Amino acid sequence: MRAARTAYPLTWRIMDALEGVAAAIWPARFRRATPYLMLLPAVLLVGLLVLGLIQIADASLRTLDTTTFQFSDDYSIANFRRALTEPLFLVVAQRSLVAALIVTAVTLVFAFPYAYLMVRTRSPGLRKFLLIALFLPFFIGQVVRAYGWLIILGNQGMVNEALGLVGVAPMRLIYNYPAVLFGLVQYMLPFAVLMLAPALTAIPEELEAAAGSLGANWVRTFIHVVLPLARPGFVGAGVVVLTLSLTDFAVPAILGGGSQDFIANAIYDQFFRTSDQGLGAMLALMLVALGSILVGLVFALFGAGTLAMGRSRT
Amino acid sequence: MIGSRSKSIVLWTLVTIALVTLSAPTIVVLGASFTDGNIITFPPDGLSLRWYARISQASDLRNAFMRTLQVATVCTIVAIPVGTLAGIALAKYAVRFEKTIQIYLLLPFTIPLIGSGIGLMLIFGNAGILGQLWPVGIACCVINLPFMIWAVTASATGLDPDLELAAANCGAPPLQVFFSVTLPAVMPGVITGSLLMFILALNEFLVSLLLVDARIVTLPVLIYNSIRSIITPDLAAISVVFIACSAVAVFLLDRLVGLDIFLKSK
Repeated sequence: MRAARTAYPLTWRIMDALEGVAAAIWPARFRRATPYLMLLPAVLLVGLLVLGLIQIADASLRTLDTTTFQFSDDYSIANFRRALTEPLFLVVAQRSLVAALIVTAVTLVFAFPYAYLMVRTRSPGLRKFLLIALFLPFFIGQVVRAYGWLIILGNQGMVNEALGLVGVAPMRLIYNYPAVLFGLVQYMLPFAVLMLAPALTAIPEELEAAAGSLGANWVRTFIHVVLPLARPGFVGAGVVVLTLSLTDFAVPAILGGGSQDFIANAIYDQFFRTSDQGLGAMLALMLVALGSILVGLVFALFGAGTLAMGRSRT
Repeated sequence: MIGSRSKSIVLWTLVTIALVTLSAPTIVVLGASFTDGNIITFPPDGLSLRWYARISQASDLRNAFMRTLQVATVCTIVAIPVGTLAGIALAKYAVRFEKTIQIYLLLPFTIPLIGSGIGLMLIFGNAGILGQLWPVGIACCVINLPFMIWAVTASATGLDPDLELAAANCGAPPLQVFFSVTLPAVMPGVITGSLLMFILALNEFLVSLLLVDARIVTLPVLIYNSIRSIITPDLAAISVVFIACSAVAVFLLDRLVGLDIFLKSK
């Protein structure tokens, strides 16, 4: 008997033991709850963010006593009032919002043809090239990419040296608003293309051919067939680009050089320069609210687009 | 790609601008790292590897890179089981409140990074674990978790539920069904997801900036801090480390699952 038992491979015996343990702590009658058990770790992990938001909300209601550098024990909405009335924050908020809208529009204009060409091309080589050119910067990270732009656009950068050769005086190409917008568009392009491409794949190519054979030129085919059908992709890409650029920190910090702060930079300064945690937390909370309102608005107007997860997809 | 000439002119013009914009920083950083001069010029004054020799000597850079690797490893190790289980559950089962759970699990994307980062900073501060590396890894995992879940759901929707029933019918107990039928079927998603998690954690900047102090600074934060003061070619040489990691990730992704997976309609 014993010899027969040991004749089983070790992996079988381990699996049997594991099955036994699993059956003991999670009997078959719990079967219906299994999906919830599988979701539990993810729910708990994301719960850290919820806890964080609660902490931020708590901190946002405490004011800083500037004589003792202590935070008040009782709650007040003084920070909220300050956040709304201080002109600096209004300037920063307006700058970020306008930037987010411009960046979203420009990014979608460039991302659409990129995704379209990548999906529709007959050449596997070209498709692979476009994919690699997209993923390489996507995986490189903001800091290094912004650093590359500093080398190109900086005061002693390549562009200025090239201009110097033809006798043009050096220009200040960085530390201004357009530089930040440009850096953000470059950062957002891969996100937008990757959100658009699946939506374009879902459009049968025959539809375009049909529109063409009915006499539509390519512009009309795009306007009446491709763009409307690609809407889920545009919604997904638009939401991602809008929220990511509205809340970005690194690009305004590096390419804006401190003069083009966005909301995230203002929040960071409140925490680490001014040390007014309460006001910083209030600003962070308001940014979260602003972002959620924007996302909610887009979803309510257009549906979740390509952002939906799981079985039910729109 | 049949179309009129004007269509291809317009398409190609826009795509070329996009391509140049996407690739310029990478190419310039690569070129600048090989310069022989003390300041960055492009094209470089003479080629040399002296800046690479310099950074390989600098222990602060090496340590920062090792810490970054550690953070990315923690992030990936946590993300693989958590994201795989959640992804399979979402893709396979009709769970109650599915929409609510989906919206909840998308929170890492809808909450701005600065908000998530500061929230985690306050929690970790209260818990007294700020100043260690593993919480940074956990933080990177939380903020990018939807990528992992996404990748897994995308491949799990292609799994025929009858296969699992067939395995069970042949006498396989639940765990064996999971390990020999379900898991292999979602493997492409798990691989894609974990590569994404690793590389995104390697590059994560803002959350790292909020959670690290001077003793455990990670490489992206170190580069950011150095940019502020002065631009020297050694910074370009360190940046090439990230370019190399990115190239390896793209290569692996293409080899293991194929980059085309991102073009598939869901």
